[in-house]
Amino acid sequence: MIKKVLIANRGEIAVRIIRACREMGIETVAVYSEADAEALHTQLADEAVCIGPGASGGSYLSMQQIISATIVTGADAIHPGFGFLSENSQFARLCEECNITFIGPGSDVIEKLGNKAEARNTMIAAGVPVIPGTTDPVYDVRHGKKEAEKIGYPVMIKAALGGGGKGMRTAFNAGEFDLAFQTAQKEAQMAFGDDTMYIEHFVEHPRHIEFQILADSQGNVIHLGERDCSIQRNHQKVIEEAPCAAISEKLRKKMGEAAVKAAKAAHYVNAGTIEFLLEKNEKFYFMEMNTRIQVEHPVTEMVTGLDLIKEQIRIASGEPLSVSQKDVRITGHAIECRINAENPDKNFRPSPGTIKTLYLPGGCGIRMDTAVYSGYTIPPYYDSMIAKLIVHGKDRAEAIAKMTSALGEVIVEGIDTNADYLYRILGEPDYRAGNTDIEYLNTHEI
Amino acid sequence: MEWKDLFKKTRRAADSQTAGRPASHPEVPEGLLKKCNVCKSAILTDDVKKGYYICPKCHNYFRVHAYRRIEMISDEGTFEEWDKGLPERNPLNFKGYEEKLKAMRAKTKLEEAVVTGKVMINGQPAVAGVCDGRFMMASMGQVVGEKITRAVERATEERLPVILFTCSGGARMQEGIVSLMQMAKTSAALKRHSDAGLLYITVLTDPTTGGVTASFAMLGDIILAEPGALVGFAGPRVIEQTIGQKLPKGFQRSEFLLEHGFVDRIVEREELKDVLSRILKLHADSGKVLFETEPVVPARSQEESEMEKPAARERLSRNPEAWDRVLLSRRKDRPVGTDYIEGLFTDFMEFHGDRYYKDDKAIIGGVARFNGTPVTVIAQEKGKTTRENMNRNFGMPSPDGYRKALRLMKQAEKFGRPVICFVDTPGAFCGMEAEERGQGEAIARNLYEMSALKVPVLSILVGEGGSGGALAMAVADEVWIMENATYSILSPEGFASILWKDSKRAPEAAGAMKLTSGDLKELGVVEQVIPEPEPVNPGNLRHVLGTMRVKIDAFLQKYRTMSGEELAAHRYERFRKM
Repeated sequence: MIKKVLIANRGEIAVRIIRACREMGIETVAVYSEADAEALHTQLADEAVCIGPGASGGSYLSMQQIISATIVTGADAIHPGFGFLSENSQFARLCEECNITFIGPGSDVIEKLGNKAEARNTMIAAGVPVIPGTTDPVYDVRHGKKEAEKIGYPVMIKAALGGGGKGMRTAFNAGEFDLAFQTAQKEAQMAFGDDTMYIEHFVEHPRHIEFQILADSQGNVIHLGERDCSIQRNHQKVIEEAPCAAISEKLRKKMGEAAVKAAKAAHYVNAGTIEFLLEKNEKFYFMEMNTRIQVEHPVTEMVTGLDLIKEQIRIASGEPLSVSQKDVRITGHAIECRINAENPDKNFRPSPGTIKTLYLPGGCGIRMDTAVYSGYTIPPYYDSMIAKLIVHGKDRAEAIAKMTSALGEVIVEGIDTNADYLYRILGEPDYRAGNTDIEYLNTHEI
Repeated sequence: MEWKDLFKKTRRAADSQTAGRPASHPEVPEGLLKKCNVCKSAILTDDVKKGYYICPKCHNYFRVHAYRRIEMISDEGTFEEWDKGLPERNPLNFKGYEEKLKAMRAKTKLEEAVVTGKVMINGQPAVAGVCDGRFMMASMGQVVGEKITRAVERATEERLPVILFTCSGGARMQEGIVSLMQMAKTSAALKRHSDAGLLYITVLTDPTTGGVTASFAMLGDIILAEPGALVGFAGPRVIEQTIGQKLPKGFQRSEFLLEHGFVDRIVEREELKDVLSRILKLHADSGKVLFETEPVVPARSQEESEMEKPAARERLSRNPEAWDRVLLSRRKDRPVGTDYIEGLFTDFMEFHGDRYYKDDKAIIGGVARFNGTPVTVIAQEKGKTTRENMNRNFGMPSPDGYRKALRLMKQAEKFGRPVICFVDTPGAFCGMEAEERGQGEAIARNLYEMSALKVPVLSILVGEGGSGGALAMAVADEVWIMENATYSILSPEGFASILWKDSKRAPEAAGAMKLTSGDLKELGVVEQVIPEPEPVNPGNLRHVLGTMRVKIDAFLQKYRTMSGEELAAHRYERFRKM
């Protein structure tokens, strides 16, 4: 069993991991930047090592610094959390070479799944449904147009190394294709230094459904049901819930089996997430596999009663899964809201600064994952998410009621947050009725 | 906040207290990380290897092993090594030298401090020699000199270009005077290679000093350098000790050499292969006639026939307009040298420096393609913005500029490339430094040498043709002028002030001086006038370039059939008549 874990992350996820380790009797090492000397994770861990300046390039993204901190403190494993180096195959490989347990899948798996074209080909070979599209890279607009005709409009043009909406364009008909392709390709070349593109059928108004899977090194793979992450702004998830209101037991079984098949095809080990797009006609398509713990993992924890971080550590220590598929029970309904330090009235401009007063809700079925406290100064360098409010109710209606109640108690003074914005979404009739898709926030005035 | 000590820490699991340290514990394997000697940060060796041996943090250039260098610039698997296994020498019977060599060989796995052979670079063949600083600081002993000489001799025989990557501490002390002789030996071999009309490129890398700088490093037809490389004859420490003062930052670095006219270009390592292959291709094609597209049809353009109408002819010869034309030729929006280079040529590669003192920014020059055919292009450049004007000294060249121009013309002559000059200067720079470095000599030398260049030379006056400063780039087979450009013995202001002691009478002087395109055509000073239906500006330049392109194509077709001697004779007669 792992004895000492270095957490190569910050914020609430670092705190979340430290807590899981502490419960398991595993010592923790926090790493922090000069801007994070006062941060909760720095204070909460058994040891803390400063690894560089505030800007993450020299600290939380500096592989050498993190490896050195690991060796110096005698930690035997690294938990990368999410973001930063969590899906960096080179970092995972470095850990392997230095005999450090990387709590996540192997570097080759990360690399393979990180390349979207290759991941897709793996899924096609495994019989997992994918969005119809090109299998070979497209470099040329004329060739692309021919492929688009074959696939059928509308089509989405995407960069092979893309992410975060960069190098991505939609064409609803042949007339729009040339410009869309050229713009996307240029953007990809600039952002990723690679102009390899692919084209696929554009699924209109789908839901974003993802399946949590767990896989151990003994070859056991299970899924923990789905999360519906359709409420997104600018491709950033805002509210997530489990289970999805629109999925029948039969469809869940079918999609879950596909997810397990996908993980097996990738020879996946540890916790991972298979993302699907779900059309209104119950057709679903594989999008990508995230090879890390997700921000929204708590909703799965709430409905399954499993601690995913602990499962990750057990798997990384070589132990078999603590549950089998038939033991997995989805109970009730959970919702997560991401509370960000940003101002929705000013185009969601980030709002770093000092929190003067803080009151956070609690109570039955209310969970608050955060790393902020009264008097804490949010540095300007990092992601604006400061807390995750998670609720668990017996059904969706109760969960919405709990979330509404809890959001109403959130008091943060000194900085701006999106708490009121979230509160308003929760009050929307369409949201309450479960009529959501990934365009929800673009099609509703909040 | 200091809660650190208030929080309860982890209560370790029972087994972790009893269990001993695992058999395999985390450690960084040997060689996984290295430390940058400049920024001191720990960096991944793998990143360095994959990233052209450049520090990913501070962009410092690490020294590159000879074989890695060859891999970086050559097409995979094309390197054919020459002259391996030359016997080692100890000419002075220097004590301990043989043991030192043996130890070096064992340590570096290299035979000597230079590796030579034949490579292909993006499909272009070349002979390459690479010094490896690990072997006794790549000092030049007999074997190094011999390998380079043999490589150059064989390149001469097989008519191949040579590229040498220099990196050296200089002569090899243990070989004494014999080492010194290698400087003469390698230089002599390069002279023969050059006399055979072949291309020699040097790439200066950190550090290049002493006898290597003073021989093969500085003899390239084209001298490239890596950024920040130390290049000099005497080492900085020796200079500091001798003169008893500290040298300024950046002294003897590539950028310093570029500024001082000794380096053609500083090339980033990532681009080196591409730049080398472009230079090789431009030279492989030099002296040939190539077409990117169909040859330009020498049809008369509309503007041209427009020119021949009586009204247009009259337009050109009316003297009262002369002053207006002077003002037009000086207009701020009038296109400058770079506009013509960009508009008329492709694949332009600028080369810098006069190889004596400075790189003059008032003159730019290099090799480019005109409709596929390599040509040497030289232009006086004024710049467009005020900042650029200052940087380019308002297009007033220093002696260094004329010497750079002449150097590039002689290079063109060696490789059989036509020379095309764009003239636009108020005059040669008038200042103390210019006189100190021989402004008069520089101009005179150009007139002297240009008169007998053995390749076609075309000069086009595109703006102001100010006196000797313009003529130093206009001893050509044909001289053309843009309709609103001027060419004169000096500025109308100067003319008026000398003759009439009143520079305000410049407009009157302009009329008397016969400096407009029409006057010059009549005087036989220019062969052709490029029409400007409207005064040329960035908006209508395209049309003018169209006309120019047709005319330049016709010029090249006409003169490329003439031999070098015929060209020189023709040029002699042209000026003999005046």
